Amino acid sequence: MQNASRWERVAGSFDEADRLYSKPRSFASDVWFRFRHKPTALVGLIIIALLILFAVVGPYLTPYGYDDQNTKLANIPALMSVYPAPDGQYIYITKALKLIEVDASGRLVRQLKKGKDDSKNKVTVFPYKDDMTVTLDYTAQPVTIQDQNGNRIEKAKTVWNRSYLLGTDHLGRDILSRLMYGTRISLLVAFIAALVNMIIGIFYGGISGYLGGRVDAVMMRIVDIIATIPLTLYVILIKVCLDDGMISIIIALSSVYWVDMARVVRGQVLSLKNQEFVMAARTIGSSTGTILTRHLIPNAMGPILVTVTMLIPSAIFMEAFMSFIGIGIAPPLASLGTMCNDATDALRTNPYQLFLPALVICFIMFAFNFVGDGLRDALDPKLKK
Amino acid sequence: MTQNNAPLLRVDHLTKHFPAGGGKVVHAVDDVSFTIRRGATLGLVGESGCGKSSCARTIIRIYEPTSGSIFLDGDDISALSQKQLLPYRRKMQMIFQDPYASLNARMTVQDIVAEPLRAHHICKSRAEEREMVIQMLNRVGLNQDHAGRYAHEFSGGQRQRVGIARALILQPELVICDEPISALDVSIQAQVVNLLRSFQEAQGLTYLFIAHDLSMVRYVSDDVGVMYLGQLVELCRADEIYARPAHPYTRGLLSSVPIPDPVAARLKDTVGLEGDLPSPIAPPSGCRFHTRCPYATPMCSEAAPALREASPGHFVACHQVNG
Repeated sequence: MQNASRWERVAGSFDEADRLYSKPRSFASDVWFRFRHKPTALVGLIIIALLILFAVVGPYLTPYGYDDQNTKLANIPALMSVYPAPDGQYIYITKALKLIEVDASGRLVRQLKKGKDDSKNKVTVFPYKDDMTVTLDYTAQPVTIQDQNGNRIEKAKTVWNRSYLLGTDHLGRDILSRLMYGTRISLLVAFIAALVNMIIGIFYGGISGYLGGRVDAVMMRIVDIIATIPLTLYVILIKVCLDDGMISIIIALSSVYWVDMARVVRGQVLSLKNQEFVMAARTIGSSTGTILTRHLIPNAMGPILVTVTMLIPSAIFMEAFMSFIGIGIAPPLASLGTMCNDATDALRTNPYQLFLPALVICFIMFAFNFVGDGLRDALDPKLKK
Repeated sequence: MTQNNAPLLRVDHLTKHFPAGGGKVVHAVDDVSFTIRRGATLGLVGESGCGKSSCARTIIRIYEPTSGSIFLDGDDISALSQKQLLPYRRKMQMIFQDPYASLNARMTVQDIVAEPLRAHHICKSRAEEREMVIQMLNRVGLNQDHAGRYAHEFSGGQRQRVGIARALILQPELVICDEPISALDVSIQAQVVNLLRSFQEAQGLTYLFIAHDLSMVRYVSDDVGVMYLGQLVELCRADEIYARPAHPYTRGLLSSVPIPDPVAARLKDTVGLEGDLPSPIAPPSGCRFHTRCPYATPMCSEAAPALREASPGHFVACHQVNG
């Protein structure tokens, strides 16, 4: 054969066939590989990391506590349109017609004391410094101010509030600090509630699925009965019976939200327990505990994780919702929900007070949903590339 | 090797019924009896759904037997609780059909092969355990590089060798092979079967070898049992069953084995099997094979034939076989 000379035998033994040339890749690294190739999931993860940083480290960087209030500096927004004062400082007029002295960089200096109030002519005179005065004329909207010589002062510029970066609320509390504490509480409540739900759900669903038969039927009917009534209603009812505060809100959230988790775990265990590797474990003589913890639950971890990441935003939303309707976190403790609730009174004059906590809630919801979505795709071996 | 002559495994009138809902019952295994000598291999063949796997799983007590007894090394294990069964589990192990489904995807090969050692608290230290695992892996043709890998990184044949390592690390006496090669390539099948045979020669293992591939069964078995619809219809030495199949069903099965030589194939008298396997929920009356049997007489649909010795060492359950 002429062609035979063109083929050459490769050196090497038959054992070579059994060698693995790929790098060992564990399940976790496999999932991470797929996860980080999904932009939305990665963005969600980054947002969550930033939010956690914001909530955990943030409070140490701000000079205000969540309950430090200064009613003299209430309802001041982040961006202020200021008037130049006679001495080069600036003056900001609040919606409640108080005059605040602001320095050139945007720091709040003081609230001007009222001097003479002529309510008939609708003018108020504020002594400024030395013999300088500022006169506020509120006969018509928008209000105008004049200096002591009667010259009208025009708006000079817009400055960023340096004392309270995101402004203050109706009690003069720093909104940024309260957002940090609020996010901290919301995340804490959500993580603990999700963890408790996960543990209860895994145990309940795992036992129900593994034992099967009549036990399974009874346990799942209980879950069905719980799930027929909207879970929100239970949480509100349980919350009414308990005190205000974080512990009780965690108890309320943990006591009903496990039903979804239990269903997921039960379904997984039910389909896994008849697989050959579980039979193999039984023929080996492994104990039921080993089978559950080493074989069934690790293999069901994908859907469990996805359910947990979907559970966290709903727990956050639930906490915010309850705080909003006034049965959640008790004031002065900040939570995103209580902040929204506080802001509704002044919605027309100071919409930023509602907008900011609502924005943070949105961020949290988006981030967790993106991550949950990404995890579901990453954990699904059928989508393996 | 010194061996006593008592059979290692004796299955006595073993029956396994599964509830099928609505009060119906699946007759998966019905009144099956056989013995396996120490160091021998019994091949169990039959169509899909004839109850071979159920029979194996009942013997190893993954399924609870409905009735009948299983004697392992003289002890009746059919009624023991799972806890009492633990010492017997060291003596019998199982190799599964699907090398993909029978290995936990979340465990490394090291953990998979070490699981029996852990379940029976055999090793005192992790180092000892690791050494035993690597020794076992070497014996099945794998090495320590493979120990840290996950099952999905292996080929089917390699996975099946991991499964064999897991089953044999406890040094069992009886190994039930539940179609261990049917999911593998033909070239790999021979590799795995030769591996099993070398273990048998080295350790005097006893195999219950389940397959639907008659040609492979012939190669590995000393005795062959043929199952049909949950019942054993023929049982004899392997060479005998290929030379002189007595039961019409066995003849049908044998004629369905493809013959590589077309001339020989044309000469073969074909008694092909017609029709499908009847439902095991409502098995036919009398001889269960009468609905498909070319020799069936009215008697066949009335009385169930017992398994009897038609010629020395050759057991058949058929009214039409004289002996």
